[in-house]
Amino acid sequence: MREEIITQKTIADPRSHYGNAKASTRHFITQRLTGVSNIAFLLLLLFVVVRLAGEDRGDMVETIGSAWIGLPLALLLGIVTIHMRNGMRDILEDYFHGRTYRLYMMLNTLFCLIIAVAGIGAILKLVFWG
Amino acid sequence: MTMSIVHRATGIANYAGSALLVLWLVAAAWGPEPLDAVNGLFGSWFGQLVLFGYTWSLTHHMLGGIRHYVWDFILGMEAGQREMLAWANVIASVVLTLLIWTIFVWVG
Repeated sequence: MREEIITQKTIADPRSHYGNAKASTRHFITQRLTGVSNIAFLLLLLFVVVRLAGEDRGDMVETIGSAWIGLPLALLLGIVTIHMRNGMRDILEDYFHGRTYRLYMMLNTLFCLIIAVAGIGAILKLVFWG
Repeated sequence: MTMSIVHRATGIANYAGSALLVLWLVAAAWGPEPLDAVNGLFGSWFGQLVLFGYTWSLTHHMLGGIRHYVWDFILGMEAGQREMLAWANVIASVVLTLLIWTIFVWVG
């Protein structure tokens, strides 16, 4: 969201309307909502990992392949990737600007997209095709 | 200050760690051989060490997130309360991680 280097004075002055109010509020709310959802994700993940760590493919298909576990896991994993991209954006905004920022942000989006597509794809494969 | 950095660091660790979870899921979807390979990797002493760290990182970041929620309701912001919450966060994350590994890995 930040393009050029802004001085402290600009930020401190409310009349400058520094920052994008709508996008920043949306960013904040998105991060809180996905954060709550991630608590549910971690509980489900704990259940799945405890049941399946080191087990063979048959057990994986039986547990994750059950729609009651697989579909919520896929949905929650998707929400996790939104939280990941949003959170990484906070860090990137602090250290990079302009072209460099946009490049890293693109890589960030790409990584989160790969995680979402590969993760959800693998789960759906287990659910629908075993 | 330190806790803010740790929250970010654990966030980055969880970001990278998500690749481990997806690796496992993709291997399971792929077939028995890739799954055996990933299970071997994660079951090795180094894999277990990384997964232990990942468990702590996830726990710490989750508790840190809950702490931010408490702050959102303008609670626990006074001097003293902040430090108390920070210590509670660190201690609880270590205790929870050890509890999870003791119950489900070392004993179970």
